[in-house]
Amino acid sequence: MASSEMDGGVSREDLLQRVELMEQMIAEGRRSTTRCGWIFLLWGVVDLAAMSWLHFLPHSHWVGVRAWPTCLIAGAILTCIGLAVQRRRERLGLRVSCCRVGMVWFMLGIALTIFISGAMVNHLSWQSSYIAALLIFVGLAHAISAAILQWRGQGVVAGIWWLGGGAVFFARSQGTVNAIMFAEMCVGMILFGVYAMVLDARSGGNRGRNDG
Amino acid sequence: MAEELPELDPVIHGKLRLAVLSLLTGMEQADFTWLREKTGSTDGNLGAQMLKLEEVGYVAMEKRFAGRKPQTVYRMTEKGREALSNYVAALKVLLGGAL
Repeated sequence: MASSEMDGGVSREDLLQRVELMEQMIAEGRRSTTRCGWIFLLWGVVDLAAMSWLHFLPHSHWVGVRAWPTCLIAGAILTCIGLAVQRRRERLGLRVSCCRVGMVWFMLGIALTIFISGAMVNHLSWQSSYIAALLIFVGLAHAISAAILQWRGQGVVAGIWWLGGGAVFFARSQGTVNAIMFAEMCVGMILFGVYAMVLDARSGGNRGRNDG
Repeated sequence: MAEELPELDPVIHGKLRLAVLSLLTGMEQADFTWLREKTGSTDGNLGAQMLKLEEVGYVAMEKRFAGRKPQTVYRMTEKGREALSNYVAALKVLLGGAL
């Protein structure tokens, strides 16, 4: 018996190969989520558009309560169109239902809609605690996704969102709150979206062959 | 008396079957074509291995239509998840500190 061979004739190298194979396949499965990196990018741009609208057009007729709802609705429509195009490109339609992660973000969308609508109706939407809760909500969705996918990168992003949410409580001015939000959109949405898209592009075509 | 080493589930230990279960572990369900592409397998080989996994109850199969095209969709069962979890635990014991 070789030194690396264990009971039943299974070698240590063979077992390590199995571990490597499992890691590789779990990473392949993760691709179905990283493929949605464009959604993070899109929502980062949508949020920045709403913030810019409020900042640069403060006296326009459409400003105030209309800027965010308009951008959010536009973002939702663009997401639906993008998903439809993505599914059409994949020949068999919905190939993979990465339901758990998708459902986390869908439920976040519902929670945020309720939260934002309620806050806007009651004119509470620019309180620090409101902004902090928004950032913490998004961080929570990232954290749950990271736990499901066992993806440290997304876990770090969740931490960044929570850090921002916590920092808002200590902000002394609206300008500081805006700066924190801007940083979160850039890092936690746009940069993360681009990172996910790069991962997707890199792992394309990286397929092994496995025999029974 | 020496401690007995755990046995590896022979159904899961097959490379292609292990690859498929690992893919399915992060998904609710996946179709046959997607699994074939990800594993780099052939129709015949993957079909045979999926049948074996289905027979032992590790995966459940459903046939449906996506538009006009027939689609075979697989999902991992609770029994399959438990078996994979036991397999990983056995691997950890066998490999000691390597994991």
